[in-house]
Amino acid sequence: MMKPVYISSASVISPQQHFEDKGLLQDIISTDDGMMWVREPNYKGYINPVAIRRMSKLLKMGISCGMNALQKAGIEKPQAIITGTGRGSMVDTEQFLVSMIENEEEVLTPTSFIQSTYNSINGWLALQTKCSGYNQTYVNRGASFELALFDAQMLLNETNENIHVLVGCFDEITHDYVRVKSKIGYWKKPLPASKDLHKHSDTHGTIAGEGSAFFTVTNKREQALCSLDAVKMLQDTDTGDVIDNINNLLAEHNLNLSDIDVLLCGMNGDSRQMEVYNQLSALASENTTIANFKHLCGEYDTSSGFATWLAAELFKAKEIPETLIARKGNHTGIKNILLVNHYILNSHSIMLLQSVQ
Amino acid sequence: MEELKNTLKQQIIESLNLEGMKPSDIDDNAPLFGEGLGLDSIDSLELMVLLERNYGIKIEDAREGRKVLESVQSMAEYIQQHRTI
Repeated sequence: MMKPVYISSASVISPQQHFEDKGLLQDIISTDDGMMWVREPNYKGYINPVAIRRMSKLLKMGISCGMNALQKAGIEKPQAIITGTGRGSMVDTEQFLVSMIENEEEVLTPTSFIQSTYNSINGWLALQTKCSGYNQTYVNRGASFELALFDAQMLLNETNENIHVLVGCFDEITHDYVRVKSKIGYWKKPLPASKDLHKHSDTHGTIAGEGSAFFTVTNKREQALCSLDAVKMLQDTDTGDVIDNINNLLAEHNLNLSDIDVLLCGMNGDSRQMEVYNQLSALASENTTIANFKHLCGEYDTSSGFATWLAAELFKAKEIPETLIARKGNHTGIKNILLVNHYILNSHSIMLLQSVQ
Repeated sequence: MEELKNTLKQQIIESLNLEGMKPSDIDDNAPLFGEGLGLDSIDSLELMVLLERNYGIKIEDAREGRKVLESVQSMAEYIQQHRTI
């Protein structure tokens, strides 16, 4: 079993709030068009001013969010940068492909091509922080962020030194992406207001989202926001396997479901993808608060990054905003948060986060 | 020539996404790279593509390219002599 690692800072850019906002989910933003775009911060001060003019929104989001996480932890240069993205820079990719068609594959401009590569955000973060250490971008659809976290945990487990790993994720929506996915019935019809997503869990489809989240992760417990005790990814599993894996993971940490204060569920409003959450909710003890988050960020490959940020903020706030609560539990305080997420039917992830106080 | 320089400045602003700049903000003889507009190597690639797409000019020799891309004035003079479209 791996040792826990510690999240010493957390930063987010989401449809609800970004790293410059104070408080936690104070003004809930709801959309009616099925697309939850991020609220963008002022990027000035986080990104090289010469380069910023060339950057797409995703690059600006990822770089500024990563730099903000480092600033919050008081770190100028991390020892490693590990990120995950399901789709990378969609805007740059689309721009490059359209340009290829329009110009008949000749005389193509380099910027969108260079920036469309998945690892360009990691490259920029490394350049800006002068970090020449381990640098990795995972592009594994719904497991991308989890793999980045898992890699960070493995890296930190290999050393007793107090190193800082910058871990993050980023994904963006485009109109074309939403249009293409609509052809396979991915989105709700008719579209509900995003704040009411979970009231419509008896129909097919979900809503689209985007965002970026970054964390500084270390071996140092002191002054951490919380610990990350376990990350587990499950592929091609049925509901019974997911529940068994959750119970086994908790048992490995001398816990059971009734010890969980907050069960943070990645249900996305699609009736075809509810089984694990329904069964888990039925098994959860009365102590446990069951909370949802995708009505706040939409569905995207690395939405678990938003949920991890949320978990870290819940430990800090010591209370749960009403908008998250699906069923209130009798727990006192928040010590254990179990995050269960999924990306399309049979790909699930489980994370256990604990308070360090 | 003046009209060409103004068009060129507008094209530079658009292709390099120089937000908030107007053609009149760019001095004809100011260096495009370094202390002038502060452009970098990726911008030089964008400018090469601009010349090829809009004026049919393909510069193969890097040293010649460096001279051509010195300023708006040098670019405009080269375009006037070598344009094919």
